[in-house]
Amino acid sequence: MPADAVISVRGISKRFGGLLALAFIDFDVMPGDIFGIIGPNGAGKTTLFSCLVGAVEPTSGEIRFRGERIEGLPNHAVVKRGVVRTHQIVRPFREMTVMENVAVAAHFGAGRRRGADAARRVRDVLGRTGLAAEAHALAGTLTIGQLKRLEIARALATEPQVICLDEVMGGLNPAEIVGAMSLIRSIRDSGVTVLMIEHHVHAVVGLSNRILVLNFGQKIAEGPPQAVLKDPAVITAYLGDN
Amino acid sequence: MKAFKASLWAASAIFVLAAPRFLDRGTLNDLWNLAFAVILASAWNLLGGFAGQVSLGYSVFLGIGAYTTVLLSLRGVDPFLTLPLGAILAAAFSFVIGLPAFRLRGPYFTIATIGVAEAVRVCASSVSFTGGSSGLRMPAGSFDFNLNYFSMVVLAILVVALAAYIKRSAFGRALAAIKQDIDAAEALGVNSTRFKLAAHALSAAVVALAGSLYAINFQYIAPGSVFDFRLSLSIVLMPILGGVGTVIGPVLGAIIFSTLQIKLLSIPALRDSFLFIYGGLLILVMLYEPHGLVGVGRRLAALAASAFGTNRRIPDAG
Amino acid sequence: MQQLVSVTLSALLAAGLYATMAYGLAVIYGVMRIINLAHAGFMMLGAYVTFTLFSRFSLDPFIGLVVVGPLFFFFGVVLYRAVGKSMARSGATPSIESLLLLFGVWLVLQNLAYVIWTGDTQSILTSYTMKSIEIFGVHVGVPSVFVFLASAASLIFLNVLLKRTYLGKAIRAVTQNRDAALLSGVDADRISATAFGLGTAFAGIAGGMLSTLMAFTPDFGRSFLLKAFCIIVLGGMESVTGVALGALVLAVLENVLGAYTPVPTSLQDAVSFALLFVALVAFPQGLPALFARFERKAIR
Repeated sequence: MPADAVISVRGISKRFGGLLALAFIDFDVMPGDIFGIIGPNGAGKTTLFSCLVGAVEPTSGEIRFRGERIEGLPNHAVVKRGVVRTHQIVRPFREMTVMENVAVAAHFGAGRRRGADAARRVRDVLGRTGLAAEAHALAGTLTIGQLKRLEIARALATEPQVICLDEVMGGLNPAEIVGAMSLIRSIRDSGVTVLMIEHHVHAVVGLSNRILVLNFGQKIAEGPPQAVLKDPAVITAYLGDN
Repeated sequence: MKAFKASLWAASAIFVLAAPRFLDRGTLNDLWNLAFAVILASAWNLLGGFAGQVSLGYSVFLGIGAYTTVLLSLRGVDPFLTLPLGAILAAAFSFVIGLPAFRLRGPYFTIATIGVAEAVRVCASSVSFTGGSSGLRMPAGSFDFNLNYFSMVVLAILVVALAAYIKRSAFGRALAAIKQDIDAAEALGVNSTRFKLAAHALSAAVVALAGSLYAINFQYIAPGSVFDFRLSLSIVLMPILGGVGTVIGPVLGAIIFSTLQIKLLSIPALRDSFLFIYGGLLILVMLYEPHGLVGVGRRLAALAASAFGTNRRIPDAG
Repeated sequence: MQQLVSVTLSALLAAGLYATMAYGLAVIYGVMRIINLAHAGFMMLGAYVTFTLFSRFSLDPFIGLVVVGPLFFFFGVVLYRAVGKSMARSGATPSIESLLLLFGVWLVLQNLAYVIWTGDTQSILTSYTMKSIEIFGVHVGVPSVFVFLASAASLIFLNVLLKRTYLGKAIRAVTQNRDAALLSGVDADRISATAFGLGTAFAGIAGGMLSTLMAFTPDFGRSFLLKAFCIIVLGGMESVTGVALGALVLAVLENVLGAYTPVPTSLQDAVSFALLFVALVAFPQGLPALFARFERKAIR
């Protein structure tokens, strides 16, 4: 495996009862990558993220973050090391304000900030994600677009080195998608490696420098976007046999 | 508004501290009871309200505090010196229960705590050092009502202040995050087990302190009184009635609860209706306003705001 | 040898009662994902109603169960109609609000019993209460045998109900896969009301049977509630056969501890409460899931 990879995954699989949700997946993510993960529904993409951050324990295989094995660590410990994920179905703390939501991440993420230091970080993140105006609104009152940005804001506030974005563009209108794409680029430009699951193939191709394709828990292709989209296996998976 | 609230808190504190100068013994007794109730309710609220982990086993910690004090006093230790030990023992026991039990979520945790509390009660009634069903008496000559009064009241003020501090701290935010979505909290780096254990230990220690002071004041304890399931029940009922997860909720709940208790005891016809009233209140709160009195207050404030056309935010009861 | 037979027999007899008592809790949990603390109150009420039927109308307590069952089914449906709407949530885990709500109902029932029957200890003394018969050379109290037979009868009745009737099938379907069953168009409201009625009826029947074995007060029922929890936790919270298995495990454990270890009888309850705690923590999915896990490990 490449020595300078940020994330190295070897032989990861996850079994839920009789279902093999992930089957012996290998891949590496380099610093500064925007690494896209695509595949039909039920391909195991979200399960892969869950394994990466320790929300579920993989049945087999190893995951390294900067050379250190992190599989089997609890979720919060992985976050403290600098790997964080967002949720496809947003999970805000609805009875807290937007600011408090982000503050939790600033306090307990890799940055471990307290007091005024945390407040500065929160303001900064809210500014970057365009939520400054909503800082004092209860999270339960936000629109879906705002909630998606809140997911990203909280993840950023943990000060990650790797951020795993799970369909942050789902349910957004075209204008919002353009905004989200430039936000993701700016995250990468600030030195954070990005992994993203996305249904909008157009957006993934536009952003990623590498793409991993999953189907029924199997890796069916990996490589630069244009090459991957021409792969017969990928075309079959998306369009069917004929 | 904030300054108004703070001065109201301060005025209440000064009032109860100065009360022995102008109130009679009976009223002071009622205030002592109120302070006791405030401590139990606010302490439970640290775990049950802030972190949303509803335990029905808090009588255990009260019993640990009370028994530590009585057993050591009987061996010649000054009762007030036993307080820290009782608190430490209760915190340690909370850890022993919590470490496995916090793997359980929501109601499963609640059921486990009933199991622990009942097991402890049954054990305490059948071992000899607790005095069995006949209980234990404090050694004679260690009673000073004013001292008892001040200790309980000061502890109550400290606990409410502590709750207010925690509510605004990073610790309090972690607890609130755990309550609202434990997986999302973990996904942002919150070590939920650690914070639940910390809140449990802190509230257990506070309840044990109150238990010690209870033993000192009543001079007599028995497993049937300090490990009683109904005690655990009233500890839960007060914050729920007032409004879980807020600072003022448990205090309001305690005020209503101790007033009810005093009034009910003085009306013979109602003496046997405790459970009707507690059960009925619990049902009403759960059916109509899970945020308790604080929730009712918020609704009224919202109603008033819309009636007067002002654009004020719904005040957060802190 | 004699002791082994005796322990086995009393465990078996107790298991019947335990299964009846726990099933009432399990069916409500299975369908509505509610932890019904009022179960204890209905067990207590079942004991008192059986007692009243016996002392006022000289109805034999076991014949009284035929009245208690339908009556408590009705109580359960009424309670569901009164407060059930606010408890019907779709979540996978039960809500703490519904638990506290039913806790309130339990308290009200307790107070009701105080008002009607006072707080005095009551018991049912029939002509056969003190009699015993010999089975395999072991003397067994007649009431325990009757309780076992009545439990077996009600569980068989229940099984037929669940397997043969539309509502029964719907209850099983909702218990096994709630979302799929609800999507396929079963009437959730009617199923829930039926389940609540059944659960309450079983609580009443269990309470009635308990009243022939021991004395009771309005406070009665809490320790049996905890035992019932222990059983459904051991048996897995969803499966009916699991409940029987859990009941057997608890009954055997209690009787073996009582017969072969110096644990005093006064501490026996503490043992089952501690077991509840251990079971909850160690096997959150119950014993069946544990067995399933072993099987999978063996295959791999």
